[in-house]
Amino acid sequence: MDLIETFIVETTDTEVGEKTTRMLIQDTIADLSLTRAIGRLKVYVDPELPLFIFVALLRLGAPSIKVKDFAKVEMGDIGKDEVKIILSQETNIGKLQSKLWAKYGKDNILQPDRKILVVKTDPLKDMDMLRDMVIEEPKQEVLDRLIDAIALRIIPEGFRVRKHELTNDYVIFVASENTLKPEWVAKGKEILEFLRREDNA
Amino acid sequence: MLEPMMYIGGAYKHSQLIELVEDLGGYILQKNIMQSEVVILMLIPINDLNIVEAKSKELLGKLTRAPLSGSEIATIAPTLAYHHLPHLDCDVAEFLRKQGAKTNMLGLARGVGKRICELSAYERDLINEHDIAVFILGNYKHCVIEKSRKLYEGIEIPIVVTGAPELKTEEVPNATAYVGSFGRILHHMRHAEELKTLDRLSEVIGKVLDDVRMELAKDPPSVAPPRIKKEIEEQIPEIVDNLHPLPITLQMNGVRVKLPYKEYHEQIENIKFVEGVTMKEVARILPSKMRDFILIKALPKSETGFVI
Repeated sequence: MDLIETFIVETTDTEVGEKTTRMLIQDTIADLSLTRAIGRLKVYVDPELPLFIFVALLRLGAPSIKVKDFAKVEMGDIGKDEVKIILSQETNIGKLQSKLWAKYGKDNILQPDRKILVVKTDPLKDMDMLRDMVIEEPKQEVLDRLIDAIALRIIPEGFRVRKHELTNDYVIFVASENTLKPEWVAKGKEILEFLRREDNA
Repeated sequence: MLEPMMYIGGAYKHSQLIELVEDLGGYILQKNIMQSEVVILMLIPINDLNIVEAKSKELLGKLTRAPLSGSEIATIAPTLAYHHLPHLDCDVAEFLRKQGAKTNMLGLARGVGKRICELSAYERDLINEHDIAVFILGNYKHCVIEKSRKLYEGIEIPIVVTGAPELKTEEVPNATAYVGSFGRILHHMRHAEELKTLDRLSEVIGKVLDDVRMELAKDPPSVAPPRIKKEIEEQIPEIVDNLHPLPITLQMNGVRVKLPYKEYHEQIENIKFVEGVTMKEVARILPSKMRDFILIKALPKSETGFVI
């Protein structure tokens, strides 16, 4: 857990609620292996209002993986409308294949060798597009897990009224059982500023 | 009076113990053989306890009191979402099962929130078919108390509540007993402290059940539930092929039979006891809210005027 620089749980129920909420968040973050994705984190809970605010600064790191990162894209044999993709490693071949199948159909993808894929298409038109094709987006995947953690596991289920802001740098979740008040949403922003300020110091 | 006991020992010669208990007029509730070990849950006449103890010593087994055996307990979570399952709910249910109770896990449809929570009529009736309802609530004192004010409306059986704060039972409205140190836990409970908490829960439930037994003893059922079980096993052969877990589940003052009501209720109503009475004279045969099962509730002595 030491990977998260700041981890604050602020609540009016300081006796037990604070400890258990902290444990609950730790468990969820560990379960979904989000320790690396969250830089700083503050949670504010007031069970009497009731109000639950979850604010985190994110560090999503890993950029998306494109075809050109792990393969050479070339013209096929002379006279044929083909694009040849020569892979340097096999790790991503499954994902690449399913992307290509979805786009061109299974009939138009050949695999003459373990590390070679041949796409039947006009090379002049599609070669550049294939080079830049995104195979995997770790960022998106992490964000999906993050939303799963916050919305589906951490915030109490009864807190059905929710407002959230999600960017590549931060996430704010304000949730309650009752209609959200503007000052609660503002408090979320305030906590974000607090986390950022601490960042600068 | 019958004492609920659990025997753990080697499978070798354990049939001698079973025969002894049956000869003494006790009942075998459940027998599980796991490789070379056997766990037997049984009811033993309290006056003959020392005979059984001597036998279990001879067989090098362990005989302990299992106050939870012969009861059906509902463990209830506000919903079946990831917030509550699998860890805490399953841990509680499994632990109570190990102590001899039959547990059924229930997730409510609209059990969430402290303002918006509610029980549906079906849920309430289903819960009322059990002996005890264990409500597994969350982390905050305020929420546990507020929720307890509303959620248990219409539940007539004893209610045991678990949650994170250490509260006194009197502080939790409508609860028969409260056990703290639980809360919304999202990991498997296996640390020494957590296991102690589970022990405390089973102890509290044991006490509540003992109270129920005492209350029942004041106006005892005309026929003991294990007796009903035994007669059904002997007179309705289809129960042997039934694949439900515990096809005849014992309750404090009745049994749940996992056979379709429509086809079997008449057959069960007409079960004959050697004393010359039929089942319908000593018990009510009702359709259960659980699937199409049959619920049998023994009539109290004050209604029939006799105990068999």
